[in-house]
Amino acid sequence: MKLKNHYTTLWLRLIVAFGLLVSIPVVLLVLVTTDNLKNAAIEKIEVSIGRLVEHKENVISLFLKDQKDLLVILVGMYPGGYLGLQENLNTLFKSVNQTSSIVDLHVIDSSGNQLAYVGPYSQSILGKNYNDAPWFQDVLINGSHISDVFLGFRNVPHFVVAVTDPLKSYVLRATINSESFNKLLRSSQIGPNGESFIVNKEGILQTPGRQGQIELSADDKSRLEHHEGTVVTRNKETIIATRWVEDGRWCLFVKSRIEDSLEPFYEKRNNVIAIIVSTSVLFLILAAIFTSYFLARLEAYERKKSELGHQMVQMEKMASIGRLAAGIAHEINNPLQMITNQAGWMGELLPDEDPALVKNMGEYQKVVEQIKFHVRRASTITHRLLGFSRKISVEKESVQINDLIGETLSFVEHEAGSQNITIVKNLAENLPVTMTDGPQLQQVFLNLINNAIDEVGKGGVIEIRTVVGTGNTIGIEFADNGHGIKPENLKKIFDPFFTTKDLGKGTGLGLYISYDIVRKLGGTIKVENRKSGGAVFTIVLPVNSFNQPR
Amino acid sequence: MGGFNVLVVDDEEEFRDLIIKRLIKRGLKVEGAESGKRALEFLEHSDTDVVLLDVKMPGMDGIETLRNIRNLRPLVEVVILTGHATVDSGIEGMKLGAFDYLMKPIELEPLLEKLADAYEKKRLHQEKIEQAQMKKHIAMPG
Repeated sequence: MKLKNHYTTLWLRLIVAFGLLVSIPVVLLVLVTTDNLKNAAIEKIEVSIGRLVEHKENVISLFLKDQKDLLVILVGMYPGGYLGLQENLNTLFKSVNQTSSIVDLHVIDSSGNQLAYVGPYSQSILGKNYNDAPWFQDVLINGSHISDVFLGFRNVPHFVVAVTDPLKSYVLRATINSESFNKLLRSSQIGPNGESFIVNKEGILQTPGRQGQIELSADDKSRLEHHEGTVVTRNKETIIATRWVEDGRWCLFVKSRIEDSLEPFYEKRNNVIAIIVSTSVLFLILAAIFTSYFLARLEAYERKKSELGHQMVQMEKMASIGRLAAGIAHEINNPLQMITNQAGWMGELLPDEDPALVKNMGEYQKVVEQIKFHVRRASTITHRLLGFSRKISVEKESVQINDLIGETLSFVEHEAGSQNITIVKNLAENLPVTMTDGPQLQQVFLNLINNAIDEVGKGGVIEIRTVVGTGNTIGIEFADNGHGIKPENLKKIFDPFFTTKDLGKGTGLGLYISYDIVRKLGGTIKVENRKSGGAVFTIVLPVNSFNQPR
Repeated sequence: MGGFNVLVVDDEEEFRDLIIKRLIKRGLKVEGAESGKRALEFLEHSDTDVVLLDVKMPGMDGIETLRNIRNLRPLVEVVILTGHATVDSGIEGMKLGAFDYLMKPIELEPLLEKLADAYEKKRLHQEKIEQAQMKKHIAMPG
């Protein structure tokens, strides 16, 4: 579990790192891109507003020119004497009034006295003299004059155009309805919060502002300097375009709230963000998948490595155990030799005794035999441990396994009997003879039977069975009715020095050696727990016949 | 099996004396030497048929002793006794001309058998030589 957490932590860390690695540049990218997009959008708006204001100014200038031109044509066509007569003026006014925005016509002589008037203000102009009026001065000097816009008849915006005849003998003055270019300006408003208006040089509005103001705001006033062409400027919220109308008296303002015009930008921006974000998310997901995959590989590799490491350690351990065992076995051979030598010597000397005088002669002889027997056993073990077998025992001989079992059992009869252990033999009658190493095989049988005896204890039952197996083999089973073998031990049971007995009561070598012997004889040995309780060891040996190559 | 002459060469006194005792009881004529050097000295003037030689000895070890014995007395058969783990020294010994090798611990019966076989080989070999010599004499009188 600890290892699992370690990998989960690693995975999380990697994902977080990727996440940061992705999101920081992505955020930067988004910010930069949207900023660029916004600027581009605003610039586009600026350009279009600039074009708009230019267009509108053109129309206004054209309009003004038209009005002026009309008057100029009139004074060019008619002498003052003609126009100064009220009936003539009335006739003229009727035809002119149809097509233009002219509200009234006024003819004034060069001294400022009115000669004729047609229009709605006849009451207010009665008897006035304009000699001192600034506009009159202006028109006499300059030949023409256009006034600022004022609220006139019925609060409709008007302005005045006046021209003199080429000889400056009289002035023709018309009041023009400027509602038409108010309409024009209104149509040029951009967005719900935009405005467009005309101001004069002093900053007084000539057309209605949105909020009904009369004067320009301070901010707008700062843009009021006369300039050529269109100037488009920007403050935080608004784009302001200004253009002076052709004679330089009036300035046209078109203002648009930036926010209002940004709709398409927002749409684009949101698309871009969506694309970038979804790509990043996709990337993150892919990164997560790859990370998981690679971590899984890493984990598998590390586990394999650790397993191999364990195996190596295990092999090392086995090797050093092997070396230790070999060292011990080596040392033991010498005392074994002495024991068997001395016992043998005693055995040789016993016949010289008079049996009548030696009460336990028979026993002594038996003892000597037993000592020799056990030395033989011990030496077989040491030779096994030393990894080679005596030249004599390697030679295969013809062995009837059933007899071998019987012989082996005779060694343990005594001990089994004393513990009331029942040994049940179930030996196949037609068991073939095989060429094998009898003594070593016997050692295996002895080992298994002794283990079974230790396991079952008093009153236990041991079953031994031989069968003719398939594929020219012999099967031998050793079963006991003990407690069976713990599942976790089943794998380890053939390991050297593995024992479940108390310290000093078992070397843990028996099954290891047995396993080795069976393997060297070309067979297999396995262990499992019986359903009926206890354990069963199964040996399978090939049937080697006399003329088989070794 | 008639009695034949055996020389037991082993540095371990207890083992050597016991083997000698037991072999004598079985009717052989047996002497002992505690080192390779002593063995060679003994062989120079003795009538030994078979040498029982321990491989692991201080000083001149078994293999070297064997070499010297084969040089000194080529007809004498040598049975090597090894408590060593290695089959190699036994095989090496065989290559150098030892009759056979035995591994400790060894009981008397197999030992006797081996010594007897060794003696038999020597005897037959010796017989052949004598026969050849006789033939030579017959062929070339005088």
